[in-house]
Amino acid sequence: MSEGPDLLIERVRSTLREAPGTVPDPRRVAQLLSAVWESPTPSALRRWLDAWRVPSVSGVRATVLAGLALFAGFLTRGVVGERQAPEPFTATGSQTGEFPVQFASATLSETAPVLTQFVLDDTKAQRVSLVGDFNDWAGDSTPLTRLESGVWTVSVPLPPGRHVYAFLVDDTLLVTDPRAPKSGDADYGREGSVVMVFAR
Amino acid sequence: MSMHRRVLTLVSLALASVSAVPALAQGPVVLPIADAKARVAVEREIARAAARGLPVQPLIAKAMEGVTKQATGERIQVAVASQAKRLEQARTLLAPSTSVAELTSGADALAIGVPGAMLKQIRAAWPVERSVAMPIDVLTELVARGIPARHALERITVLMARGATPSQIASLGSSVQADVAAGLAPDAALEVRARGVMSLLPSPAAAAASAPSGQRRP
Repeated sequence: MSEGPDLLIERVRSTLREAPGTVPDPRRVAQLLSAVWESPTPSALRRWLDAWRVPSVSGVRATVLAGLALFAGFLTRGVVGERQAPEPFTATGSQTGEFPVQFASATLSETAPVLTQFVLDDTKAQRVSLVGDFNDWAGDSTPLTRLESGVWTVSVPLPPGRHVYAFLVDDTLLVTDPRAPKSGDADYGREGSVVMVFAR
Repeated sequence: MSMHRRVLTLVSLALASVSAVPALAQGPVVLPIADAKARVAVEREIARAAARGLPVQPLIAKAMEGVTKQATGERIQVAVASQAKRLEQARTLLAPSTSVAELTSGADALAIGVPGAMLKQIRAAWPVERSVAMPIDVLTELVARGIPARHALERITVLMARGATPSQIASLGSSVQADVAAGLAPDAALEVRARGVMSLLPSPAAAAASAPSGQRRP
């Protein structure tokens, strides 16, 4: 996309702040931002935005459209039974260092999602995914990308807070992050890794 | 149309979609649990929670966590029921807060053994319009690192009263986490790092003078 992700998020965030009486779930907003951010072709978002360049669509009309969308959402309540899988994240980073890495440049406020990088050294793995409370532990939603060095990596925007996660290797083996603190699991007895995400 | 208006249009529609998600989530949920009997039981548990006004997303996440961890259907059923119970407790303890983030943080804290009364104390430390999800997350993390809950709560509520931001409180949790990983005793790490954050805050007198009259303490 022609404008940087930081700038886009800043604009979305500032507009979110202006919207009266709206308190979206930060995790949902993070997923939404991720979906927009990680658009496969950078110019697609620009083209999509350009499609809205219609002078007649005022803020009032946009509100009406939003109301219609809400109404449609409630109409489908109880009709849509299949749970929608979270939008897949796409690997973006190739940096190394302290893990998981949080990019200061992506931190914009106390509540804005923070781009966080996860890395796993596993030269034998054929496929690695990130699973955690931020993606409903869905094994297919956040694949890591293998670098030439054999290191697997992915960067995802996470809402500030404490997150528990793990890596799913070859779709079957659940492993903790060797570089992160561990967290107990009273429900399933399988410990996970912990990352504290916050705006730095 | 200006960029600002375009972004407003985009965000309005996006917010409408985000707002509609809970409505969709309240409908029948089909979970990939192999044990059909357990799956039906879990789906009923989630439906009951929704009927009680609890957020279903943390329950779906708990069920999916069990699937990914290859837990038995029976164990997933117990885990989801436990999570629903914790969410309900958190809602009572954190009232009037009802955000999913706060309730989820509260439930996670209860799961790790944080006494419910402490959640009440954290809620009382900040005005109701301010989310306490981060202070609760930090309390959970400190307890997970081996710090007695009472000690951790005391340090966090002092920081909250002194006007620390969620990020500053989070940095306390993150720093203690790193210190403990480096071999420092958890209590010692908390003392040092709490003083570090405290040094960044205005003095109590200055904080009281700048606070809105409704938030001033006697």
